[in-house]
Amino acid sequence: MANKFLKKETIGKLIDALTSEGSIFVAPKMDARQVVYAPVSRMEEIVFDYIVPRNPFKEFLFPQTEPIAVFTIAKEAVDMKGVEVNAKETVIFGSRPCDAASVASLRSVFNWDLKDEFYNRREDKAVVMSVACTKADDACFCTTVNLAPDSPAGSDILLKETESGDYVVEVITDKGKKFAERFGNIFEDVSAKKAKPAADVKRIKGIDEKKIKEWLKDTKNYENPLWAELSRKCIGCGACTFACPTCHCFDIVDEGSAFEGERIKNWDACQFEFFTLHTSGHNPRDTQYKRWRNRFMCKFNFYPNKFKSYGCVGCGRCIRVCPVRLDITEVMATISVME
Amino acid sequence: MPGKIRYNRGNGHDKRDGVSLEEIVMNNIYLPYLTTIEDIYEEAPDVRTFRLVFKDQNVRDSFAFKAGQFGLYSAFGAGESTFCIASSPTRKGYIQCTFRKGGRVTSALSDLGIGDTMGFRGPYGNWFPIDEWKGKNIVFIAGGIGLPPVRSVIWNCIDRRKDFGDITIVYGAKSVADLVYKNELAEWGKMSDVKLVQAVDPGGETPDWKGKVGFVPTVLEQAAPSPNNAVAVTCGPPIMIKFVLQALNKLGFSDEQVYTTLENKMKCGVGKCGRCNVGDVYICKEGPVYTAAAVKKMYNDF
Repeated sequence: MANKFLKKETIGKLIDALTSEGSIFVAPKMDARQVVYAPVSRMEEIVFDYIVPRNPFKEFLFPQTEPIAVFTIAKEAVDMKGVEVNAKETVIFGSRPCDAASVASLRSVFNWDLKDEFYNRREDKAVVMSVACTKADDACFCTTVNLAPDSPAGSDILLKETESGDYVVEVITDKGKKFAERFGNIFEDVSAKKAKPAADVKRIKGIDEKKIKEWLKDTKNYENPLWAELSRKCIGCGACTFACPTCHCFDIVDEGSAFEGERIKNWDACQFEFFTLHTSGHNPRDTQYKRWRNRFMCKFNFYPNKFKSYGCVGCGRCIRVCPVRLDITEVMATISVME
Repeated sequence: MPGKIRYNRGNGHDKRDGVSLEEIVMNNIYLPYLTTIEDIYEEAPDVRTFRLVFKDQNVRDSFAFKAGQFGLYSAFGAGESTFCIASSPTRKGYIQCTFRKGGRVTSALSDLGIGDTMGFRGPYGNWFPIDEWKGKNIVFIAGGIGLPPVRSVIWNCIDRRKDFGDITIVYGAKSVADLVYKNELAEWGKMSDVKLVQAVDPGGETPDWKGKVGFVPTVLEQAAPSPNNAVAVTCGPPIMIKFVLQALNKLGFSDEQVYTTLENKMKCGVGKCGRCNVGDVYICKEGPVYTAAAVKKMYNDF
């Protein structure tokens, strides 16, 4: 497919066209002195100079809190009705390639066997317009998990910045193609524009994902005292799970009065003690290292083996947000050299 | 619901291939069937059995499950809790669940009475491969509140008595009061083709207790069922299961002959919420029924 061209100054027009149709335009913007993915209504709100937004954009596909049913409790009529999701088209502009790659991971969990339409209806209406990274920070490690600052995986459209601040447009999926055609006046057919080189994210030396996967596969290594040592400083705050683009765990709770209310799906975290606690008092993951081990296993064993998708996309958010500086790449490096 | 059926309920398995999302109403995999509590049995202190019938006649007619499968039971306003279906699939027209009052949802369920409405989603998970056991002797071993899932299989086998060889039931609880299904234990005790061994933990006996006194694994070893042409089915507290497996090994049972059901905490029941996994095994989707051989291959995450 021939590349197209997007002039930075026309992004405002794109926002106007979409929002006037009732669509949501999500882009990096400042909020509480942080760059976050959030809906914008004007181009001036967009931050163009950023590395990775503070939050992953999963909240637009899988909201942090979402009613799934409503109930009424009356003397003669107790009932529960499902909530219908009427997802709006949501364009995620300025997604980073690491975040785009995480969409396939969420999709696989929400669709093995029974399909979660709360997720699917939103994902169907989402258009991921990534911007390849020309800068990275010390927490970025996408190349270590075999992604790249300009990787197309998961994007519908991949934009590459030029020196002038405009974008070379690579259309990746059919959804992206339809989108570019729909806005043919904005996505120009200009060829031979040169994009800036992608950020140089060095692979972290000494990390071998194949070796990690092999080591995790051996159930005997689950008992290795290394787990407790490596995760000793973890305080179980769960920040890594909320910041992680592939973490998908949730809770289902009823909220309301004695007469009516909602059944709600809320983000939850495997790092919390109550997450697996039985009513009897028995807890299969009763100490923090077991919960931390579960999360690491989820990223480098369950996701790749069970769902054939990325468990970790190397965005580095868990490293940036961790209050005790527990660096997942250090654990990856340690396990890489285990016999 | 009055008028048109707008929502697919219950087990989420509705077929809808080839239909675009815009044309159909949403298939909500988390929406339960509505049920009426038809009867309540007090089994033991804080342990109750509910007999549930589906409000929707179509569901009542078409609902089918297999012994070992589980569901999520709703007390509206409090939430959902996961238990096995404790009745046998051979008993049609209703399902039963047995639970101990403990947490938020089970406490709210305990407050419900006959005629009240609650929710049920399921059946989920795999089942005991009873059809593969034809002609075999079956040994059931359960402890305390671990009897309900085993009870579904026991009645299933008794209702198809000719298909199986000897049936032995070893059941124990902390005390005489804590034994569940007391009426049914009496019934099984009277059956000439069922061998019932009942036990209570030391100190849990009453003056007129006629059963054994001892822990289930020990009582099982004394009962010494033969492993020849046999399968064993066990459920109970994790610590009991551990020692029962050792006792069965001593008696000569191989790990392939022993079945158990792993009941972990669940919220979704359909492989998405992320908490029932034992290592890489999702109990809700790949279980809850496993052979001891399969359990031993799992990551130690119990």
